Amino acid sequence: MFAKHIQPMVFQARRLYVDVMFQVMGRALQAVSEIDSAVQAEARALPDGFLFEMMVMPHGSRLIVEHIGSGRLHYHGDKAPRPIDLSIQFKHIAHAFLVLSFQEKTSVAFANDRMLVNGEISYAVRMTRILNRLETFILPKLVAQRAVKEYPKSLHLPEKLISAARIYLKVATNFVETARAS
Amino acid sequence: MSNKYYEFFCPVKVIAGKAALEHIPYELTGMGAKRPMIVTDKGVRAAGLLEPVVSACEESGLEIISIYDDVPPDSSTSVVKDIAGIYRNEKCDSLIAIGGGSAIDTAKAVNILVSEGGDDIAKYSGAGVIKKPLKPFLVVPTTAGTGSEVTSVAVITDTKKSVKLPFSSSFLLPNAAVIDPRMTLTLPPHITAATAMDAMTHATEAFTCMAKNPLSDAYATAAIKKISHSLLTVMDNPKDAEGRLELAQASTMAGIAFSNSMVGLVHALGHATGAICHLPHGLCMSLYLPYVLEYNLETIREPLGELLLYLDGPEVYAATPSNRRAEASISSLRKLRDELHKRCKLPRTLKETGSVTEDQLETIAEVALDDGSIMFNPKEVLLEDAREVLKRAWA
Ligand SMILES: [Fe+2]
Repeated sequence: MFAKHIQPMVFQARRLYVDVMFQVMGRALQAVSEIDSAVQAEARALPDGFLFEMMVMPHGSRLIVEHIGSGRLHYHGDKAPRPIDLSIQFKHIAHAFLVLSFQEKTSVAFANDRMLVNGEISYAVRMTRILNRLETFILPKLVAQRAVKEYPKSLHLPEKLISAARIYLKVATNFVETARAS
Repeated sequence: MSNKYYEFFCPVKVIAGKAALEHIPYELTGMGAKRPMIVTDKGVRAAGLLEPVVSACEESGLEIISIYDDVPPDSSTSVVKDIAGIYRNEKCDSLIAIGGGSAIDTAKAVNILVSEGGDDIAKYSGAGVIKKPLKPFLVVPTTAGTGSEVTSVAVITDTKKSVKLPFSSSFLLPNAAVIDPRMTLTLPPHITAATAMDAMTHATEAFTCMAKNPLSDAYATAAIKKISHSLLTVMDNPKDAEGRLELAQASTMAGIAFSNSMVGLVHALGHATGAICHLPHGLCMSLYLPYVLEYNLETIREPLGELLLYLDGPEVYAATPSNRRAEASISSLRKLRDELHKRCKLPRTLKETGSVTEDQLETIAEVALDDGSIMFNPKEVLLEDAREVLKRAWA
């Protein structure tokens, strides 16, 4: 509680940012699974009705998507209709922020013990590849190279989705800079 | 500010060297244990490795209450349940695992059941389910390779659902690992070679994969130095107790390294091949190691080049231009594999194994892509990349 008195603005902004970014990612996951065949191919191996969650420990923001069949993902907001099948949990909101502001790659965050996996590991591997793919869509090439291990050679996604997502990216970059300066 | 971050954890006491087994009674009684149960396999008993442990304990007045010596190579939930039943009937209060990966993993799982209660080990599957320390537990490795004595995971097959259940918790770690050269002295040549190459792979992948860190690096390089130094000597002179101890220590050190920094594509392909073609794990490691390093080469050029110092020594390292060291490390490992092939026919290609068919490669690639280890490979691996590596490893 002490910390809250010291830097209330930064903490609140970070929480807000993670909240917003979960929403952006949730929508983007659904959108990308409707268009991109690589994501569909990965997602198809998940069981129908499979529920994936990303959350901040202990009871922070959440993002829930469902595999509704044929590689399509559906974004459920932060409410799960059934018990979750695979949960990726950030140990602290600061770690979620590192990943969601593209300062730390998802795979590095795993390697660094920033998050825990609850559920079948092979599904976690798949979801990480889907998230990597998503990040390459949302981010300009320069930032994406930092966020994922490798930048794919060819990408085809409607400009509309990309630009919508990039607006948030701008917010993100500004926010990171402000947070760093403080 | 640097974005670097790492965690390193190894609370296992290492008891290593001459007459190490004789420390077991002191360690167990020090934890208040009086009625230990041994978990092992038929091979260990047949090799006469049970006797020195039992007599070391009994000479000190610590009676071994029960010995379960029927752990299969691929342990299952029903075996775990049976052993836990015996443990409870005999009112045991501690565990000693003697053996390789399977005996150790089985004992870890038994320890969960006898400490947490119940008969259904599947209930405890996953990460972080266990929240408190388990019963006193010692491990005596008899193969110098898996490093299971210092890893916090166990894998047990659920025979009913035919799936592999992973268990992961720092409470699975034994209180101590007892490394006595007597325990690996009789290991046959091909197993000595394969398990040492498993340890070599643990160290190499730990040093080149995504979660490498300064502490795991120190263990990894020291392990590589010991293995390159002693493996061929031991192959030529199996009774060399000193060399055996070096390999056993290297295996534990490599285990500490990779359990803190993870492994990569060699293990992903190896796990898949083991599951589909039923080849021993160490053999798969030896087989894939150079091909995967070649695949990762441009991403790991610097650390891989550094390893030349530990693989071939300072003279070779100094005489090799720095931009050729990574390639030289790979050729050094290839040379080691050739020497092992000469001595015990350890296969270098999938074709040489005689148990893999070319039409299985596609399935191996697909299964490897779902393996957890692939997440920590330094270079992203797509299906066509895995196929490509397998094609090169074929012949
Ligand atoms: Fe291994």
